[in-house]
Amino acid sequence: MRSRTSGLGLLLISPAMLLLAIFFFTPALLTGVFSFTNMSSSTGISGGAYVVTPNLLKALSARGMQPATIEALEEASYSVDADGLAAARAADVDPAFLDEIEARYAGRAYATDSDFLAALKDLPSRPRRIRDLKLAMEPFTKSVLNVRFATEELARTAIAERVAGISDDEMATLLSESYTGWVWTTENFGKLFAGHETWRIIANTIFYVATTLTLFNVTLGLFLAVTTFYLPKKLGAIFTVIWLLPRITPVVLYAIMWKWFTWDDGFVAVLAGELGLPSFNYMKGSVTSAWTIVIMVNGFIGASFGMILFSGALRSIPIQQLWASEVDGATRWQQVRYIILPQLRWPILFVTSYQTLSLLTSYQEIWLTTNGGPGSTTTVWALESFRTALFNYSGSLQYGLGAAMALLLVAVGLMLSIIYLRLFRFGELVTQPKIEF
Amino acid sequence: MTRNFSIWPVVLILLLISAPIVIMYSYLALGTVTTTEPGDLLPSKLALDNWRFLFDTSTAAGNIWIATLNTFVFAASIMVIVLTVSATGGYAMSRLNLPFRRFVLSGIMVMHAFPSVTLIIGVFLVLQFTGLYDTMIGVILVKASLMLPFGIWIMKGFYDAVPWEIEMAGVQDGASRFTVWRRLILPQVRAGLVALGLFAFLDGWGEYVLPRILAPTNDFRVLSIVLELVGNPDRTNYDFDLFKTVGVFYTLPVLVIFVFFQHRLMDIFGGGTKG
Amino acid sequence: MTIMKKTTTLAIASALLSATVFGAMAEDYTISVWAGGSGEESDYRVKAIEIAADLYEQEAAIRGEEVNITVDTQLFSGWDDFKQAVTLAAESGTAPNIIVSGHEDIGPWAQAGILRPMEDYVDFDAWPLNQVYDNLIQVSSFDGKIWGIPQDAESRPFFFWRKNLEGIGYSAEEIDALPQKILDGEYTLYDMLGDAKKMQEAGLVDDMKGFMPRPSNGPDYWQFYQSFGGEMVDAETGKLVFDKRALTDMYQFFVDAVEMGVVPATYLGGDWDTWHGSVSAGKAGAWHGGTWHYAQWTKKNGLDDFFGNIVYTLIPAGNENGRANSITHPLVYLLSTTGSDDDAALSADLVSIASEPRINALHAMKSSHLAIGKEELNVPLYAESRWATEATKNLLPHANALPNSADFGVVWTAMFKGLEASWTGVSSVEDAVNAAEQTVGNALGDKVVYRNHGM
Repeated sequence: MRSRTSGLGLLLISPAMLLLAIFFFTPALLTGVFSFTNMSSSTGISGGAYVVTPNLLKALSARGMQPATIEALEEASYSVDADGLAAARAADVDPAFLDEIEARYAGRAYATDSDFLAALKDLPSRPRRIRDLKLAMEPFTKSVLNVRFATEELARTAIAERVAGISDDEMATLLSESYTGWVWTTENFGKLFAGHETWRIIANTIFYVATTLTLFNVTLGLFLAVTTFYLPKKLGAIFTVIWLLPRITPVVLYAIMWKWFTWDDGFVAVLAGELGLPSFNYMKGSVTSAWTIVIMVNGFIGASFGMILFSGALRSIPIQQLWASEVDGATRWQQVRYIILPQLRWPILFVTSYQTLSLLTSYQEIWLTTNGGPGSTTTVWALESFRTALFNYSGSLQYGLGAAMALLLVAVGLMLSIIYLRLFRFGELVTQPKIEF
Repeated sequence: MTRNFSIWPVVLILLLISAPIVIMYSYLALGTVTTTEPGDLLPSKLALDNWRFLFDTSTAAGNIWIATLNTFVFAASIMVIVLTVSATGGYAMSRLNLPFRRFVLSGIMVMHAFPSVTLIIGVFLVLQFTGLYDTMIGVILVKASLMLPFGIWIMKGFYDAVPWEIEMAGVQDGASRFTVWRRLILPQVRAGLVALGLFAFLDGWGEYVLPRILAPTNDFRVLSIVLELVGNPDRTNYDFDLFKTVGVFYTLPVLVIFVFFQHRLMDIFGGGTKG
Repeated sequence: MTIMKKTTTLAIASALLSATVFGAMAEDYTISVWAGGSGEESDYRVKAIEIAADLYEQEAAIRGEEVNITVDTQLFSGWDDFKQAVTLAAESGTAPNIIVSGHEDIGPWAQAGILRPMEDYVDFDAWPLNQVYDNLIQVSSFDGKIWGIPQDAESRPFFFWRKNLEGIGYSAEEIDALPQKILDGEYTLYDMLGDAKKMQEAGLVDDMKGFMPRPSNGPDYWQFYQSFGGEMVDAETGKLVFDKRALTDMYQFFVDAVEMGVVPATYLGGDWDTWHGSVSAGKAGAWHGGTWHYAQWTKKNGLDDFFGNIVYTLIPAGNENGRANSITHPLVYLLSTTGSDDDAALSADLVSIASEPRINALHAMKSSHLAIGKEELNVPLYAESRWATEATKNLLPHANALPNSADFGVVWTAMFKGLEASWTGVSSVEDAVNAAEQTVGNALGDKVVYRNHGM
């Protein structure tokens, strides 16, 4: 059955669609695009230029470029000729100064910057500012070395002028190698799977998600919901509040509280010391303790999600069923096992699926506590992707590679979402509107 | 219900597994008014001067009230955007005929769990393009947009639960669909709006990564950034007690809101994108 | 994180006076400066620019020009977010005019077009830049151009607590002779581990505290690579070097240290506060840090008699392949491409003035860094500091710097990951080295020279 589009509906949904398009779809699309580039903090994001540098020439020479070409390009010379003077005049260099240059140095050539600079400094009407002096030098340069050409055409012209009769091959090599911006590549994905480091991070991620999910988000959530359900109302409420604290505490503070709790001189270490147990930095002191803490840090937040959801579902179970079972002499355990759990099947499935996705993409808590250490033992995929693309000590941000990592995460998330949508009989959620106009 | 079980073992187990939280939060509270020597378990002396940052702007925390006001404006703006856009969008998704409705809805469901970390570089480019990089307006829009799928999804759920009869009656009385929504339906989903609003506010209040990355030098400094800066141990005048105190100060409004509106928040049925 | 931000207007010349008397147009400039990895103790990184602006205005007034300079300063306490902020801000055209960062950023940032070459704006043959140490100017150069002006210098030495050495049988003379012994390669890193072990056995220091390296990533770890004969750059081709043998020996050294029980396997990532507390109170046998830690220990940790308690040396050689060494990691003033050419020229002038010995000495002394130029040693403030003069004389001549290369960050990250992995025992040394080689090879290919020494 096909029905008429509601104009009001379009109007009401449009702000949402606009914001989502700008801040969700566009960035997501860009991420997809970036993952096929070698973009990094050295290539920049918005494009590059063409620069022939001494190091580049060294590398090209090692790769067999003609020595004559290399030599011609290497030469950093200035010559005072008619062209240069005209160009300088056009560039608004002080005419009096130019006249002196012409009078004293016409026809001369200088091999290096400092030679020419020294020569110019001798002139009486030289500009006072060093910058102006350097600007006056520029029009006389014949060198392409270390000059940033904004476009390929400019670079081509300059190189051709410098190296007469350069072969097309060499020109092409020079242009492509001297480009400083990013280029398209499909290598990111290959790079990712070339190292066994990647597989460890994948294994870490699976371990982290599975353990946190089963131990905390589901089991503990369930335990909390059921116990607070049976406890007297006031007492139950106290525990509910306690377990909601981690969720509402700002993450910066929450992370530091755990650090304080588990670090060298922290509560756990001191307590362990007094009890005669090994006292060390539990957060980073051993792989087992680091994992335990990472899982607890996230699990303590995650447990409340299940708790709230399950509590809601528990309250909707008809109380008569429970009374009836008690009349029949069922124990609490039997009640939980045969009446409550079966009714919680859907909420449990929902928590499992929803929290799998949240855990897969969570990194803040790990970043602010163990930061993936010791070594990279507690590094998970989302954290690694964040650090690769946006945040690392040496400041070499690899946007392209990071985006590729993110894209893989998105792909996994999409696949899981589709499976879950099937599980939850998505069709039921989109029943047709009952009023048409 | 009969008490056919003993309550104490259960409470004991609950207490045991809640111990880390209880200890951490009590020490946090205690640390704001006392000093503990490193290596000791119990505080040694009372120290109220940890709270002096409230009126003394010379501490590492700077002027805390401006930061508090900023955070409030930040969280409130996010709340307003999320509420209005979700209230309208959710209704459209729930009750009105739209092209590709099924597709959009499943898209929103997927985005609901989308890894926002993966978007940041893209978000940066969008902000740069729109001139909103390093502005708080940009961060607010980004944060609100990232919450939208969740908001729309929740609001759709609340609208779905409103009986069609209310709308039918309104329409039969000759009111336009828009009036029906404003006058009759919105009051029905008030619980949802309150819960979503609270949630959006709390999420905005605690946000940390986005301002840090998308507005690194902005003057509009929020409390999470202040807290991070006070908590940086590389500083020469690093003071852990001050950090704890500022942390408690930062969390207090959240706690107050939480205590007063706890049941409202529960309405959101799970509420949260956090792991 | 951003920790301080302020705007100082240094307009002193009276607009009215100069406008009427000289008829000159007032020129207004706003120059912004960001410094990374800086706390209050190193705020002269940006304050120096304010002082320079003040001087510049006065000089201009004497020339009869009226210049008003507003300096916008910002200190970032960390490196990660500072570098990210600079990169993204540059991309959006809002980078500061002057950037104070580590010299190793010159490579990537120059390639990305974020920077203007400093040499196009200042005269390195004129005062005060002509007295700046040549090796520091070298450190500020990349690919044939000088991109920055050195802001400070330091050295990353090794330290021993005298009492602990005496406790295991060293005489006072032997302790005083230790720095020379280390310089001559007669006392190696393994000798140090042995001594650390002895200190633990004698009960002078706690178990696992015999050797306390830097708790986090830093240029320091490249020193150990050099101790085992590694080179970071191939002198002939200028390419980066991945020395497999040196890296293996270096990883193995830390694994051995763990096995001897002088340092925990999970040491890395520890707390700086705890570290400062331990080393400055003699609870550690041997450690390595930076010359600037002197300020922290003497001012904050209450170490009154530094020279009476501590002996400092170069990082010992690791084996016969390597040498005693130290790395200096100067920060540099850089010019961004943001703003007009005039802004950049003024910024360069300000940086140049800020490099005057007297002004730079303020930073050097407040933050315990070392001088950037010869004349600075004659500034009384600097000359009267025993630590500064000794460190300049004994350590700096043997110090080298990290290479300036757009790709060094990749090698660095790989090196440290491998170190963490083998140190914690997650992978064997061999696997860690291979993984690092693979990462570097994948990312950089033949841009790096791989030295195997027949391994």
